[in-house]
Amino acid sequence: MFRRTTITTTLAALGSIGTAAAAGDGEHHALPLYAPKLSEFLPISNSTIAVWIAVGLIVLFCKAATKEMKLIPTGLQNFAEWMIETLYDFLEGLLGKHLTSRTFWFFGSIFFFILTTNYLGLLPGVGTIGWNKVDAEGHAEFIPLLRGGNADLNMTSAMAFTFAILWFYWAITENGMKNFLAHIFAPKGDFKGGLLLAMIPVFLFVGVLEVISILIRPVALKFRLFGNIYGGEQTLESLMTLAPKWLAFLPALPFYFVELLVGFVQALVFTLLCAIFLKLICDHGDEAHH
Amino acid sequence: MISLIADSATQIIAASDAGAATSEGGPLAPFGWHPWYFLAQLINFFLVIFVLKKFAFGPIQEILEQRRNRIAEGEEKLKRIERQLAESEETTAAAIAKANEDAQRLITEAKESAAALSESKAQEAVAQAQLILSKAEAAAKAERAQIASELKKEFGRLVTSTTAQVTGKVLTDDDQSRINQEALAKVES
Repeated sequence: MFRRTTITTTLAALGSIGTAAAAGDGEHHALPLYAPKLSEFLPISNSTIAVWIAVGLIVLFCKAATKEMKLIPTGLQNFAEWMIETLYDFLEGLLGKHLTSRTFWFFGSIFFFILTTNYLGLLPGVGTIGWNKVDAEGHAEFIPLLRGGNADLNMTSAMAFTFAILWFYWAITENGMKNFLAHIFAPKGDFKGGLLLAMIPVFLFVGVLEVISILIRPVALKFRLFGNIYGGEQTLESLMTLAPKWLAFLPALPFYFVELLVGFVQALVFTLLCAIFLKLICDHGDEAHH
Repeated sequence: MISLIADSATQIIAASDAGAATSEGGPLAPFGWHPWYFLAQLINFFLVIFVLKKFAFGPIQEILEQRRNRIAEGEEKLKRIERQLAESEETTAAAIAKANEDAQRLITEAKESAAALSESKAQEAVAQAQLILSKAEAAAKAERAQIASELKKEFGRLVTSTTAQVTGKVLTDDDQSRINQEALAKVES
């Protein structure tokens, strides 16, 4: 509830500028929190289309970069290798060799996918090219053709959910079920005799809190990413209404640079938090490997 | 300003309400969360994972691994070459030291041998010289004896001849012998 309130307040503050402008021309509406449906029969939204384009771009880039792999890289291969190796080394410093080699496919995918969709959402036309849909009461609603992939809670939920499943799977396979449960509930420290008995209920209670904390983390992940990207898009859209249409790009221009940074930082934050959560839960098991 | 923020908050809430109206109920409804759309995005995300794993991470990590192995092999080779070089230098140094030692020994032996040979040759030369000297002495002595004998004979003949001419008589062999002996005795004394 607290998080929801915080997000709503943040979004309200971000939307304030746009609202002020909208009052002037009477045309601007706040960017909806949801991604509008594009089909009555299939679960396709404008965000889904943006994600497909992102997937297509990723496929094209990967195919181009790995077309003729050489031991001494050049061009796109060099760039792709630099990105992947940098991220791999960064994660290796955090997770250790064993966990990184096991989980890089997921963390790499998360990072590059979020980065691509975030930057795709900044392209001109995303959120501004669309059509007006008139409902039965005669109210027109602008439906953009594309919407930032991560400005859709379904997308961020899908990523957080996938991470949650893999998180438990990796934790259990790394530590074993017994150690996994012990990691959460067992008393930490060198307690003996009566003191141990006294500490058991305390640590059971702490374990319950830990379970709640673990369950909340994916929820926080998905709302953090969604909130930041939605807030950014809302800001840009609102800023564009501050000037006449032929000069609409100007007020938003500085914020495009901020959004470039935000797009990267949010990709990194999501990946980094997932990695840290995994490290925390697998810490015991990973030490055994070392 | 406050009124603007309040107005904007109202707008966002209105947007949320619109979302709620378009989606099914539940706390996530204002955000447009829907199980089917969630599933669709989940499939999209799996597609991304598949694509990246198959076309990017797989081949690139493979080539990075190949490069790492090549570098490791190169390092290993370099170390092996350095080790071999060090061993070779050690072997060469040992061979040179042994050669020096052998050469020194040969020189010493040669010197000793030369000294021994020189000594022996010197002794031989001395012996030869002594032999030559003694032979020369013997020859000189014999020659001197022969000359003395010839001189004695000549001196006797002259004495005899002179005595015969002075005295005017013919000397017998005994006279001649006696005169010779007396004359030689006086010369030798």
